[in-house]
This record gives sequence, structure tokens and C-alpha cells, in this order.
Amino acid sequence: MSETQYGRLDRARLRYRRFRQQWYSTPIVLTAIFGALLVLPLTLNLYAFGFSLGTWISVHMLIITLVWATTGQAWNMMSGYTGQFSFGHAAFFGLGAYGTILLLNVVGLNPWLGMLVGAVAAGLYGLVIGVLCFRYDLRGHYFALATLAFAELIRYTFNTVPQLGGASGFYKPLPRTYADGFGLAAFQFEGVLPYYYVILAFLIVVTVVSLVIKQSRLGLYLFAIRENENAAAAVGIPTYRYKLLGTTVSAFFTAWAGAFWAMYFDTIRPETVYDILVNVEVLLPAIVGGIGTVIGPIVGAFIVIPLSEVARILVDLSGFDRIIYGVLLIGIVLYSPKGAVSWPGRFFEVLERNGLYENAIDDGAETDE
Amino acid sequence: MFVDPSIALQLVAFAILLGGIYGLVALGLTMIFGVMDVINFAHGALMVAGMYTVWWLTNEGGLNPFLTIPIAIVVLFVLGLAIHHVTIAPIIEAPQENQLIVTFGVLLILVSAIEIAFSADPQSLDIDLGSIGVAGIYLPEGQLYALVFAVVAVVASWGFLQYTQLGRAIRGTADNRDAAQYVGINVPRIDYLTFGLGAALAGLAGAVIPLFQQINPHLGDAYLINAFVIVVLGGLGSFPGALLGGMIIGFVHVFGQFFLPGSGYQIAIFLIFILVLLLKPEGLLGGETHE
Repeated sequence: MSETQYGRLDRARLRYRRFRQQWYSTPIVLTAIFGALLVLPLTLNLYAFGFSLGTWISVHMLIITLVWATTGQAWNMMSGYTGQFSFGHAAFFGLGAYGTILLLNVVGLNPWLGMLVGAVAAGLYGLVIGVLCFRYDLRGHYFALATLAFAELIRYTFNTVPQLGGASGFYKPLPRTYADGFGLAAFQFEGVLPYYYVILAFLIVVTVVSLVIKQSRLGLYLFAIRENENAAAAVGIPTYRYKLLGTTVSAFFTAWAGAFWAMYFDTIRPETVYDILVNVEVLLPAIVGGIGTVIGPIVGAFIVIPLSEVARILVDLSGFDRIIYGVLLIGIVLYSPKGAVSWPGRFFEVLERNGLYENAIDDGAETDE
Repeated sequence: MFVDPSIALQLVAFAILLGGIYGLVALGLTMIFGVMDVINFAHGALMVAGMYTVWWLTNEGGLNPFLTIPIAIVVLFVLGLAIHHVTIAPIIEAPQENQLIVTFGVLLILVSAIEIAFSADPQSLDIDLGSIGVAGIYLPEGQLYALVFAVVAVVASWGFLQYTQLGRAIRGTADNRDAAQYVGINVPRIDYLTFGLGAALAGLAGAVIPLFQQINPHLGDAYLINAFVIVVLGGLGSFPGALLGGMIIGFVHVFGQFFLPGSGYQIAIFLIFILVLLLKPEGLLGGETHE
């Protein structure tokens, strides 16, 4: 390799580091991501060099990806920011789904209002869980197990009570039975593309909320609780109240994704929206992408879901996609606990270690980590 | 509510049989939890591996099912060592949720692999064990044998922990990992042994289940969740606690199934769980909570 190439790499590395140090770097990256996502489904059927994206990805796959990106983002606000590891977000996801579809079926409430009711119910349930667990000071394993127990409690309750749909759940009614046919007001559309833009809008809202929280004083408090709760309390942060806030906001937005799920698919049952695996699917994007980061859950979802969907198409074995999930979970936790967002930085580090930076320009940016 | 005494007696018999199985299922979990401070979500999947080892050796290999149970224990011990080596050992010092996530990954891989290998259809052993009638009570023989295995396993494990040098080392590690290291116990090796034994106990619990129940790759889930309840109920790392917790959950399960509609018994179990977590997280027979 020639010397000029080293120089170019050096400059790229420094530019990247300097950029990531700025407060506006995350909003800029997010804007770029969302801009790309806005046009992505429209490019699926474009052929270039005899090749089109549509052969590999479908709008349906993108929708599923964005659903779990939304939940990952919401989970992150509680577990990533405050460090209270929730293994029971299926409860909030399911409450959003059931709030929407149950009220629609039983009293004919518009699904948008039903979604809000479901989200408020999820927020309240999160508040109850939080009050009980934080008052009794459950930490670590005990907290994770308690959240799982609360999620399973809800699942079996819906499974048992016939008024809540029982084991067979609910069908999504036809739009003309409660609105003027398909359209935004009915939360039901002909074709999948409008669904894509609805869930993208949800993701953007959750992401903006997440970003605003993280870059505000509130985010500082939440992260202080994560790093050292006792120290945070000692300097006067009301940790109990802030942990509750994180839990409630997170539950509220997780329910949105659940509501979307209920209106996108034809049926919901306790096994589909309250399953134990849902607890993992909710948090997987955040873990893979990078816990506590705003970009992480989106990047993580775009790694996890397409990978498992493509694997499902290529390997015709029921359960193969879950093996992919398992390998990803283990691989990320063992080898890259900071998640995919740390990969660009790592890429430069590896180059550095291999001695590619003989002419490194030292401008004082080295201290950043 | 009036219940016929013979029905009540029958329910008690069922509850004791099921409680024994539950206790056995919780043993390996409480051991890993107590010594290594790891929530092993793969426990249910290891049980399933035990079930399918017995089922495969019996139906395909033509062995006597009771002969295959010790084989399953050995297979699962080795599998446990391998899993620990690859997944837990490198991150034993990492934050707790990392280990939880990793063991959940192991659960997904194991269960899906078994599903791919043997299909998701329910399977049963080619044997018919029948049942014994005692004083008008009906006792399924398979469950009776399973209970015997459970009792033997509890006594053997308890004796091992109480009276052998290695057992003492394991208990010492459970009490205080750092102090155990200072007095010369090889803690990483104890971790290997503990995880292997925990997996072997899971394998045993799984191995006895085909004696009285149809098996499928997802059967571990239901047992796993209740095993968590039992472990916390009985007290972290406490063997008698696991047995007592198993019996309590066995009674709640059997009587709840009889008197409550649908899966009401499972709701009752979770309510008990949440109450215990909040009011007495150290469990009924547990000592002080570890930090």
C-alpha cells in the first residue's frame, strides 16, 4: 500500500472521531437513516444491472423490522438508560395490541383511540410494576424475574378470561363495520405500503422522544442511575421517581408497536403477542445495536430481522430463524457487548493495532472514548 | 365448597407426585443460581435434551428406558460443560443481564435444533407402565418412578454437597466467591462442575418426564417458568427449599387446576411468585440475600 493511502485513512478516522464528538452527530445520522427509510420501499422494484432489492427484501419484512425497532427503542428508554433490565415487555406490547382490538371488537372504539387506551393501560401497568419492584428494592436477577412474572401473569389472565378473548383471541373486523372503509381513520389499508409509513412514523416519534430524553438533563439523571444508583441518590437525584418515569414512558411506547401489530395482522392471540419469545424480540434490537444508544435499536433491528427472514427463506426449516436469534444473542454479548454502533470505531481501532497508522496526525482527538 | 374425600385424597396424591417432579426440575436451577449467581434460562431446554435422549435411545436404540436415564445424565453433564465453556465462562464477571441473555440464546438454539431434528410433533415412549391402585387412589406408575428418582437425586446431591471435599468447595463458593478464591478453591473449576451438575440434574428431570407424559420440544418452557418460582420460593441455592417449593407449587397446580377455570392455577402461581419476590425475596428457607 502506498503512503497516500495511510494518509487518507488517517484523515477519515479523525474526521469520524471529530464528528461523533459533536452533539449534532446523532440527529444528523438519524435524519439520514429516516430519509433513507422514507424512500427505501419505493426503490425495491427498481432494476439495476439485472438486480433488484426486491428479490431479497419485501415491504412486509421492512414493516416487521420497524415494529421491533420501535419496541427496541422503547425498551431502551427504560432498560438501556436507567439500567433496570426488563424481561417482561411482552406485557406492554400485548396490552397495546389487546387494548386496540378488544375495544374495537367489543365497543366499536376507533383503533386510534383504542391504541391510546391500550398505551395508557400499559403505562399504568408499568407504573404498578415499577412502584412494587422499586419500593421493595428488587435489583438484578430478582427484578428481571419479577418483570417476567408480571408479563406471564397478564398472558395467563388473557388466556383464561373469556371476556378478554380467551385462548383463541380476536379477529380484526373489516374496516367498513366501524369506519368508512379502508383509510387512515380506520387504521386499515389496502396493500402494505401505507402500513409501512405508519410504523415508520411511530418509530420516528419514539426515536425523537428517546433522543430528547437522552440529550436533556433527564437523560443525564437516568444514566447516572444506571452507572451508580447509590451515588446518584447521594447527589440528590430522586432515583425512585426517575426510574418510574423511565418505566412508564417505555411501556407507553411499547404498546404503540403492539397496537400496530394488532391492526397489521388478522388475528391476535395470547400466544402471539404475550409469548415469552416476545420479551426477547422486544429487546433484541437494542442489545444487538447498542444498549443505551439512540441509533442502536434501529441498526440492531435492521441486522436481526432481515438476517432471520432471509435465513428462513434460504433454509426451509421451522425454527432455523430462532437459531439465528440465539447465535446473535450469544455472539453480540460475548464479542461486542457495546453493539453494532461501536463497529465503525472498532474498525479504525483494528487498523491502528495493525500498524496502519504510521503517519497518524495527532490533533488531540485521541482522548475521546 | 364440598369435595368428596376420595377425590381430595386423589388430588393430594397427584399433588405430591407432581410436586416431586417440580422439586427435581428446580434442583439444578437452584444450584447454578446459588453458586454462580446465573439465571439459567437454558434449564428448560436442557430438560428437553434429556427427554429426547431417553426417547431416542429407547425407541430407536431399543434400550430399556430405565437404562437410558443414567446415559441422559452423563450426556447432559458433558453438554453442560460445553455450554459453560463457550458461553458463561468468558463472561462470568460481566453484568448479570449478559448471562441471562446468553442462556436465553442457548435455549433458542437447543430447542430449535431439537425441533429440527425430531419435529415439533408430540412423541411418547413405546412402553406402557400402567398404574397402581392403593386404597381407591390411582397412582400412575410412571410418575411414581419419577418421584423415586427425584428423591434419590435430592438425597444424593445433598450428600455430595454436605459430606465431600468438592461439595464443601461448592458451598464455599456459593457463600462467597472472593473468599473461596482466597482460601485456595479453584473457583473457575467449581463453576464448570456446578454448571455441569446443574445440566445433569436438568437432564435427569427431563429424562423421567417421558415415563408419564408425551414430550415435545417446547415442553421445557412451562416447567422452566414454574422452576423459577420454586427456586425463589424455596430460597436461592437451598436444596430442601427446592423440594418444599416444588411441593407447594405441585399442590397449587393440582388443586388450582381442579377448582379454577382455564389456566387459573398458573395465575395463582404467578401471584404467589410476585408476593414472595416482593415480601421475602430470600425465600422461605433461604438465608440472607446475597448482594
